[in-house]
Amino acid sequence: MKKREIPIIAFKCKKCGRIHYPFHDRCLTCLSRDFEKIHPQGNAKLLTFSAIFNLPWGFDQRFLIIGIAEFENKVKVMGQIKADSIDELQTGMTVLPTWEPVRVKDGENIYGVKFEPIK
Amino acid sequence: MRDVAIIGAGMIPFGRRDEDTLLEMLSYASLKALDDAGMGDKKVDAVYVGNMGAGILQHQSSIASSLVDRLSLLPAAADVVENGPASGGSALKNGFLAVASGYYDYVLVVGGEKMREVTGWRATDFVATMTHPEVEYPYGITLPGMAGMFTQLYMEKWGVTREHLLAVTLKNQEMGALNPYAHVEMTLSRDGIFDSPDAVVNNPYAASPLHLYDLCPVSDGAAAVILCPLDVAKKRGKACVQIVGFGQATDTHTLQEREDPTDLKAVTLASQQALEMAKLKPSDISVAELHDAFTILEIAESEHVGFFKKGEGGKAAAAGKTRLGGQIPINVSGGLKARGHPVGGTGVAQVVDIVFQLRHELPENRQVKDAKTGLTINFGGFGNNVTCFVLKRIEP
Repeated sequence: MKKREIPIIAFKCKKCGRIHYPFHDRCLTCLSRDFEKIHPQGNAKLLTFSAIFNLPWGFDQRFLIIGIAEFENKVKVMGQIKADSIDELQTGMTVLPTWEPVRVKDGENIYGVKFEPIK
Repeated sequence: MRDVAIIGAGMIPFGRRDEDTLLEMLSYASLKALDDAGMGDKKVDAVYVGNMGAGILQHQSSIASSLVDRLSLLPAAADVVENGPASGGSALKNGFLAVASGYYDYVLVVGGEKMREVTGWRATDFVATMTHPEVEYPYGITLPGMAGMFTQLYMEKWGVTREHLLAVTLKNQEMGALNPYAHVEMTLSRDGIFDSPDAVVNNPYAASPLHLYDLCPVSDGAAAVILCPLDVAKKRGKACVQIVGFGQATDTHTLQEREDPTDLKAVTLASQQALEMAKLKPSDISVAELHDAFTILEIAESEHVGFFKKGEGGKAAAAGKTRLGGQIPINVSGGLKARGHPVGGTGVAQVVDIVFQLRHELPENRQVKDAKTGLTINFGGFGNNVTCFVLKRIEP
């Protein structure tokens, strides 16, 4: 079932403001250990993408499109892209984030981010 | 620190080696290097094995212990060094530092991998285990997928075109066809993979915008070198190769956290360190083996090492400047693209290829004339852990 909220936690350095995702014990810029937890907000901008045709074990489909997108509050996240072809995509376009199953492991759904191009 | 020489080098043909176990491949390459060095019954003090996946692919651990036993090198110190596809480079670093420090005199460094005994999707999954386990791997990202996203950005920012990538493919396949150790000894034609109706079928997307022939093969293989102090090597009365520079640097685990994902900072830093240690400039290098797991990487690394300015690497490849006889011959061995990429073995194989070049023992159609210096880049993860070596011919 599609869920609208994105339950990802990113970490904003309280000293220099750099945003981290995933978590680091020390800030990549200033080495501070003091972070504010933030959630991705709004839609996202597609930064790059690739349609992958040789998939790893666990994916029974012909191809998969994966990309990196930046949310309105600057959190950058990798996710799967809901498109039938890369012809529908271009870098810089706005994509709608959703929280959905991205993989099945040991019979259980693994949830993650999917981005849907806004037409 | 003592100066360190490579006095022996050996490699087995890369490819699909169903008949050999991983241990056998490591052993065969080691014996070639030991014989090449004329070690006879000289004692080897330590063995460093570069390997990424024996634990996953062969369900086998402690392969360095197995190797010294098989080779009767007991009681040599023995360690496995794992650094993803840069395991070979990291193993050589450990050997280099051990000899340079004065602690050991004779060291065997061998790198190898046996990847073809599992199915393609298992091998792809194995390589993908180096991605971030929480924010990348679950999505099904693969290393070709990483390279595809990188290529998309590199093309947009630096003007690399598919023509530029094609030039790398054709050059490396041409050179690989001349290399008896290469996995893919097959030339390709422009028509066949680029601008004919057949090309769409022959060379489909693998990870857009990269196509099948932009990717290296999945290989079995191993390579080895013998290290000793330079003053000992000089007494042998024949040309040898000195490790004059080494560098290693890391970058963020995930591509998304890099301020500019097209900036391969670890390549720049590792090569700067190695060249500075060698007191050389990029323009002093005679021949280079760069980590072209994907054609885009040969172009990007040629810029980040400093052979060409940013945005000029693709044009240089298309203009033939990286071919044998060009401004800076790159991947005369065929590179990962054609020689193959048994991940843990690649970093050592690159150095073995440079040793062959610097000893001037290759046939004319592969020998860089009067080669004096060589450079290697071994690229771990997607550029998050990179090693660089600078090697120099020492006259007898």
